[in-house]
Amino acid sequence: MTDCGCDKAKAELEEYLHNELAKADAADIAEHMANCDDCTGEHEVGVVLTAAVQRACKEKAPEELRAEVLLKLREIQATH
Amino acid sequence: MTMTTPVAPRDHDSALSLLTADAALQELHSLLMTTDAPDEQISAAAASGDTSPEAPSVPPAKRVISADTRALFEDQALQYMDQLYAAAMRMTRNPSDAADLVQETFVKAYQAFGQFQQGTNLKAWLYRIQTNTFINNYRKNQRNPYQGTIDELEDWQLGNAESVTQSTSTRSAEAEAIDHLPDSTVKEALQSIPEDFRLAVYFADVEGFSYQEIADIMKTPVGTVMSRLHRGRRMLRDLLADYARDRGISSAPATGSTK
Repeated sequence: MTDCGCDKAKAELEEYLHNELAKADAADIAEHMANCDDCTGEHEVGVVLTAAVQRACKEKAPEELRAEVLLKLREIQATH
Repeated sequence: MTMTTPVAPRDHDSALSLLTADAALQELHSLLMTTDAPDEQISAAAASGDTSPEAPSVPPAKRVISADTRALFEDQALQYMDQLYAAAMRMTRNPSDAADLVQETFVKAYQAFGQFQQGTNLKAWLYRIQTNTFINNYRKNQRNPYQGTIDELEDWQLGNAESVTQSTSTRSAEAEAIDHLPDSTVKEALQSIPEDFRLAVYFADVEGFSYQEIADIMKTPVGTVMSRLHRGRRMLRDLLADYARDRGISSAPATGSTK
C-alpha cells in the first residue's frame, strides 16, 4: 500500500477521530500516522482536546430537578 | 406490571435508585408500584406504523398515559437526565434555565412517548426534543448578533486562521498543556464559542453522536455539522492555547491567533 500522505491525513483526521471514516480510509490514515510524527502529533492534540471537553462537561443534574420531574410526570399521568 | 423491552435490561434496583432521594419520593414510588391501573392503552400500531407490540403507542389526539407507561418512561428516559442537563447548560449557559429546559424536555418527551419507536435511539430522540425546545423557547431570549449567519462567516472573521505550521515539539507541548488545563477553563472556553459550534462539539465529543445523528438533532446538513465541528474545535484549541500561555502552563504559542 502506498502512503496516503499528510494532506489527505490532515484533512481527514477529525473524521478519523470521530469514527466517521470508512474502514479502508481509516486504515490509510492509521498507516500514514505510523510513519509520520507530524500527523500523529496532530491527532494526539485532537484526542486530548476531546478528552478535555468530556471531562469539562461531566455534570450532575440537581437533585431538586430530579424530584420535580418525577412529580411532574405523575401529575400529567393523573390528569389523563 | 412487568414490562419487557428490547433495550439493555435495567433491573428494578437501578430504576429505584433514582427514587431514593427522599422520603416523599419513596412514598411516590410505593404509590407507583401498587397502582395497578387498567391497561388503557389504545392499540395504535396501525396508525403509527409502530412494529413493536409492546411499545405503548397511542395516537397523539387521544393520548392515554397509564402507570405502566410512566414506569417504562422513568426506567428508560430518566437515566439521561445528567447528560441532558449538561447539554442544557451548554445551551442556556445558566443553571436555572438549564433546569427548566430539562424539565420541559421530559414533559414533552413523556407526552410524546407513544410515538417513540422502541429499539431506536432514545437518547438521540430526547436530544432532538431538547434542542427543538431550546431553539423555540430559549434561544430567542439570548440571540447573539452572529446567530443565523455564523455558518457563513469566514474563518478570519471568527478570529482564527487555519494554516498554522507547528513543529512536532510544539504540538506535544500543546497536547500536554490542554491535558493540564483545569476543567473550569475548558468549560469557560466552550461556553464562549458560538452556540452552533459549541453544540456540535458537545454532541460529537461528549455524547459521541454520529455526524448524521447530529445533523438530525440540529436539523442541518451533515456538511454543516462537519464545518461547525471543525471550526468549533479549532476555536476551542486556540482559546485553550491562549489560556495555557497566559497561565504559563506551556510555552506553546497561541496557534492561529490573528490578533
